[in-house]
Amino acid sequence: MISIRRLVVRRGGFRLVIETLDVEDGEYLVVLGRSGAGKTTLLYAIAGFVDIEQGSIVVDGVDISSLPPERRGIAIVPQSYALFPHMRVYDNIAYGLRVRGLSRSEIEKRVREIARRLEIESLLDRYPAQLSGGEKQRVALARALVVEPKLLLLDEPFTNLDPETRKSARELVKELHRELGFTAIHATHMIVDAYAMASRVAYLERGRLVAVMDRHSFFRSPYARRYLEEYSDLIDVARELGV
Amino acid sequence: MRRVEASLLVASSIASVTICFLFIPVAALFILFDPRTFAKIFLLNPTLYTIARSALLTTFEASASATALNIALGIPLAYILARKSFRGKRVLESIVDVPLMLPHSVAGIAILCAFGRAGLLAPITQRLGIVIEDTFLGIVAVMAFVSAPIFIDTAKVGFASIDRELEIVARSLGASALRAFITVTLPLSLRAIAAGAVLAWARALSEVGALLIVAYYPRTINVLTVEWFSMFGLRYTIALSIPLALLAIALFVLLRTVIER
Repeated sequence: MISIRRLVVRRGGFRLVIETLDVEDGEYLVVLGRSGAGKTTLLYAIAGFVDIEQGSIVVDGVDISSLPPERRGIAIVPQSYALFPHMRVYDNIAYGLRVRGLSRSEIEKRVREIARRLEIESLLDRYPAQLSGGEKQRVALARALVVEPKLLLLDEPFTNLDPETRKSARELVKELHRELGFTAIHATHMIVDAYAMASRVAYLERGRLVAVMDRHSFFRSPYARRYLEEYSDLIDVARELGV
Repeated sequence: MRRVEASLLVASSIASVTICFLFIPVAALFILFDPRTFAKIFLLNPTLYTIARSALLTTFEASASATALNIALGIPLAYILARKSFRGKRVLESIVDVPLMLPHSVAGIAILCAFGRAGLLAPITQRLGIVIEDTFLGIVAVMAFVSAPIFIDTAKVGFASIDRELEIVARSLGASALRAFITVTLPLSLRAIAAGAVLAWARALSEVGALLIVAYYPRTINVLTVEWFSMFGLRYTIALSIPLALLAIALFVLLRTVIER
């Protein structure tokens, strides 16, 4: 379980304040907010890449807020996927296992296993530049999941995908989550992601966590209505077109 | 349309003059090269040969050592300047670039003022047995001083161009900052580091002004060129310059290869 208490993070002129946020084991929490609301800052604070001014982040009873990122057991999939361009897909996925000093045979076994699960076995010898957006995303997920992190952070994981791939990517992540039961915090500005993926939604507005609700309650709340109003033009067009 | 063509013609003419100005001196060096004088220095006169060979070797070894020193000491600084934001960073960047701005003779005097027998740090250098006046170490110090900004600035640009998220992911997968740097950032910056090293090496190779002040001896090829020019005149100096010119051109070709790969 992850518990965040009275977290304050300052980046330049921006201030992120989270009074309380709990994430249960195996939960898929979507952090929803507009651009600049502080989603990425929150993820980076949890992962240890920005200094926190005050507060605590407790994972399984241990305050990790002063630990370096590599000792937190938290994997991150950034928006760009950040695949290591000089390594083949196999080596990208094996990276975290090598760091942990696993034997070559164990690494090979685990990489092949996760690659089979994500249907990327045929890509193992390729370089990231030779992959499509959807393939890159699968590799990034495989690389993060193969180390069995305590928590998986996903930063706008579907934003760079075309609409068709986005749909199948959502299905894939949902299925993986069901199957592997990992705990995830998924930051997005896309309300559709929250609708499709979340067990609960944490809503950020200008650096403040204003609501944390289960998905059902959130989509009946004024926050969701307000968010959707921005898309009202699009909704009207969709209605007119009968989509 | 006619006006555009006219301006293009003027620009082309100016460009031709510029190219000629840059190319003709190098071409002239090879055109006026006298093989008999070259043979006299490097084949027929053992004394001249010993002096020239020793100067060439000193130049090559000292410039290579200075470049190695720049790589070892410059990479951490270049990385910090590329990645970190902190108070005084601008000042630090300016300090790094100062040797580029100093006239060469002033650079030599500055090095003497710092590390020389009567320099500010003399109590420390004397205790460590470091002497820079007329020593190989002095040549390396001068060459490293004048070429360090070129290496650091090129490596800095290389590090800055690497997506920071790659390091973030590496660390989130369990790599320490050092391991993330060695396995991810460094391999991706190798081209910039190599380009910086070649450029810095070329700069070190060309230094003469500061060397005349700090370490006239053991003579580098540039110091020897100045000396022979005043003693024997242009013909001997051309013959002496050819190996250095060829080395510089080889470095230039190497640089282009590194950049274009």
